[in-house]
Amino acid sequence: MLLQTVAALGPLHGYSIAARLEQVSAGALQINMGTLYPGLMRLEQRGLIRSEWNVTDTNRKARFYNITAAGRRQLAAERAEWDRMTTIMHTLLHDPG
Amino acid sequence: MRMASLREWISRLWGTLRPGRDDRDLEQELRLHLELAAEDAVRAGCAPGQARPAARTHAGGVAQAMEALRDQRGLPWLNDRARDIRYALRQVRRNPAFSAIAIATLALGIGGITAMFSAFDTILIRPLPYPNADRLVMIWDELNRERLSKSFPAPAEWLEWRRQNTVFTDIAATQPADATLSGDSEPEQVPARKATANLWGVLGVTPLVGRVFTEEEDVNGVRVLLISHGLWQRRYGGSPDVVGRKITVNDNVYEVIGVMPRDFYFLPARDIDIWMPASFSASMRRNFSWHDSQVVARLKPGMTLKRAQESMAALSLQVTAKDFRGPHPVVVTPLREEIAGKTHTALVVLLCASAALLLIACVNLANLLLSRGEVRRREVAVRAALGAGRQRLIAQFLTESLVLAGLGSATGLAFAVPALRFLETIVPETMGTVRLSLDWRVLAFSAGAAIAATLIFGLVPALRGTRFAPQDGLRDGGRGATGARSHWFQHSLIVIETALAVVLLTSGGLLLGTFQHLRHTDLGMRSEQLLTFEAPLFRYPDFDKRVAFVNAELEKIRAIPGVVNAGASSQLPLRPNNTHATFYLLAGQSRNSIPGQVALMRVVTLDYLPTIGARLREGRFFEISDRPSTSPAAIVNETFADRHFPGRSALGERFQYGQLNEKGHWYTIVGVVKEIREVAMGEAPRSAVYRLHDQTDQVGSLPSGVVVRTTVEPVSIVSAIRQAIWSVDKDQPVWHVQTIDDIVDRQLSTATQSTTLLGAFALLALLLASLGLYGVLSYAVTQRTNEIGLRLALGATSGDILRSFGKRGMALTLAGLVIGLVLAAIAARSMTALLYGYRPDYFPTAAAVAVILMAVAALACFVPARRASRIDPMTALQRG
Repeated sequence: MLLQTVAALGPLHGYSIAARLEQVSAGALQINMGTLYPGLMRLEQRGLIRSEWNVTDTNRKARFYNITAAGRRQLAAERAEWDRMTTIMHTLLHDPG
Repeated sequence: MRMASLREWISRLWGTLRPGRDDRDLEQELRLHLELAAEDAVRAGCAPGQARPAARTHAGGVAQAMEALRDQRGLPWLNDRARDIRYALRQVRRNPAFSAIAIATLALGIGGITAMFSAFDTILIRPLPYPNADRLVMIWDELNRERLSKSFPAPAEWLEWRRQNTVFTDIAATQPADATLSGDSEPEQVPARKATANLWGVLGVTPLVGRVFTEEEDVNGVRVLLISHGLWQRRYGGSPDVVGRKITVNDNVYEVIGVMPRDFYFLPARDIDIWMPASFSASMRRNFSWHDSQVVARLKPGMTLKRAQESMAALSLQVTAKDFRGPHPVVVTPLREEIAGKTHTALVVLLCASAALLLIACVNLANLLLSRGEVRRREVAVRAALGAGRQRLIAQFLTESLVLAGLGSATGLAFAVPALRFLETIVPETMGTVRLSLDWRVLAFSAGAAIAATLIFGLVPALRGTRFAPQDGLRDGGRGATGARSHWFQHSLIVIETALAVVLLTSGGLLLGTFQHLRHTDLGMRSEQLLTFEAPLFRYPDFDKRVAFVNAELEKIRAIPGVVNAGASSQLPLRPNNTHATFYLLAGQSRNSIPGQVALMRVVTLDYLPTIGARLREGRFFEISDRPSTSPAAIVNETFADRHFPGRSALGERFQYGQLNEKGHWYTIVGVVKEIREVAMGEAPRSAVYRLHDQTDQVGSLPSGVVVRTTVEPVSIVSAIRQAIWSVDKDQPVWHVQTIDDIVDRQLSTATQSTTLLGAFALLALLLASLGLYGVLSYAVTQRTNEIGLRLALGATSGDILRSFGKRGMALTLAGLVIGLVLAAIAARSMTALLYGYRPDYFPTAAAVAVILMAVAALACFVPARRASRIDPMTALQRG
């Protein structure tokens, strides 16, 4: 999820990731900092994203996260797995047979 | 996924060791998050005053997020340890005196045991340079009659054993040999050995270059030989075309067919340079009395040493059934035991001693920590009150101990390096040269020792130091309210370390006694300023020429300034394992007596016995009037005379030896000498016969060992002696130049070193034990200042206080002494091999140890007890 956001929107800082998630889920997903930043750190430690300090469009220093090649592979794999799962679930729930 | 999560762990481990993103970095990110959230809130219509709290409610607190981030950044458990270690290091710095004592004590203990382990590992555990070396055994004749449990077998026996045995894959034999290299460059005498062709198969060794000799070459006496790696490098410059080269050995031409690997060695010495075919003569193959071989065999798979021993003993009885001396069994011993020799026991004893020393160090430290634990009760109580769990506190205490042990261990390794250089000299001569080093095995052992030490000295103080309700610790303000239990424990520690110190002191004392005894063994000669060397006589097979050469060479040596006298003998004194003996028959004895009668045989020149400073019990030395004759004169030693002529004169008695038939000469005893030490130090004396070289050429021993009595430093005339000999014969080799004192020193080197080391361990143990006693009493005085003050105020005299503390210290010492003496008596029994058959008196040693220990303990008690007795009651009570 975090990975997808970062992948979709390119280099983002932490707040914009949280804001984006909240926006796309129409407020259903509210992530606090205690969840968001350790999560980002974990992804970084796994080598799926990388981060650096940079300047925002409002001219503030922020840490920007970007996806790595390994991250993209991981994302693709997870997306495929999710699709497979949802297909199975969909079939189970909607197939009358 | 797996890879990714592995990467996460590595990154977290790294993050623990040195955080890449520090707390400030993380916090800055979180603050920005809040600011942006607040701005968004304002934009969404929130009042500016409420934007911030709203953002915080929405995004969560910075503190919680920081905590979660820190946990994610590193490994929380490791973080705790890292913090403990930092804290422990701070403690070390804060208490420099305590830390220095603790680290020095541990350094001695761990350094000592590490060095000893390195020697033990290299000499006794590491594989020998033969594949499956634990399957290799040596076979010895067991000629009990002569009080020798292990004698060299005869080649004839080897032949039969090899043919008939059922327990070995093969049996090989080696025989002594001399080798003088000449021709290609200056003459050089090198250590050599004859071997049967199957030796290499039995040992499982192949040459580095070339090949080994074949059974046919061995049996047919083909002149081929193998050279050592050392000789190859030294004399032939490591040239690969040495194989096939013809070299001159003992004036015969041999072909070099192979070079042995660099690390190859085999009994009886590490430095054998030439291996040639044994090529046993026809008479040796038949004669059961030619005992000069060493026999090595490889056990068949699945065969045990015990079964091989039984089988071989039975076989030997059968093989020697027809021997005129009667049948005898054999002994089978593991090769490693033969190679390690006495060093084995020495190492075991010293390793135990170093372990005891480490244990004393640990006990001492445990006591110190227990005392300090009392002092730290307040600190612990505060931390407990602030919520540190007991486990966490124990971990903290153990970490502190581990840090001490780690520092001690590192310092100890620094001590160990020079100790290793010293221990290298303890490596037996039967073994390859080794360089002891702190390799990974030794380092792992050392780390293990440090951890074990930590648990021994740190666990109890950690458990005790953390066991109480926090409010108690806070309330009594760290004043001595320690229960009797704690004293009881500390007291038993004192008893344990005293007992261990007593064991070490007593063992060291016994060893010292033995060593003194060996040092003062009567050699039967005057050993100072007595130079010896070998001048082999294989180039003089002709009797008359040999006599002429030997007399001329000795004459030239006597002419050197600083030389008093010179003589020669077929065997120099102090030869270890000297079992090469000859049968004899006294006049009037029946031939049945022959089997039990052997004596060492020495062919000597006229001046030999006076030169070495032999002493006569009766009769005379050889004289110029002992002309060549068929009824020659002989001189025997006291052991010989006492055996056959107890209580009466042996002079004029006649005997035959060597050739025990009508053709053999009858020798007449003209003198009896006091025992000359022909065998090694510590071995039982043996019958010996001396006869005059000039008088008759009967038994083939040549007087190649020369002794020179000097008035100057013997080493200073060595080159003059060489020149003197070469002026008679320019090709005469001279080797093994050494003084009798050198030989004695070398033979006693294991004893010297073990005595020195054990002595050092014992003194350190005494020091540590007395320090321990001092520490505990001294601490008790500090703890009980109030009580003492009260007692003094109530009318106790300072003498009472002195006595009360002194009594307690001495009672502990006495308990340790008694336990220690009992343990020492048991330990002494296991050391008998180191004692060279000498039984030192246990009681004088024990008494001396008791006196020394009590004196040192009294001093250790007196100082704190006196301090207690001088306490001013007023000050003490006020302070309370």
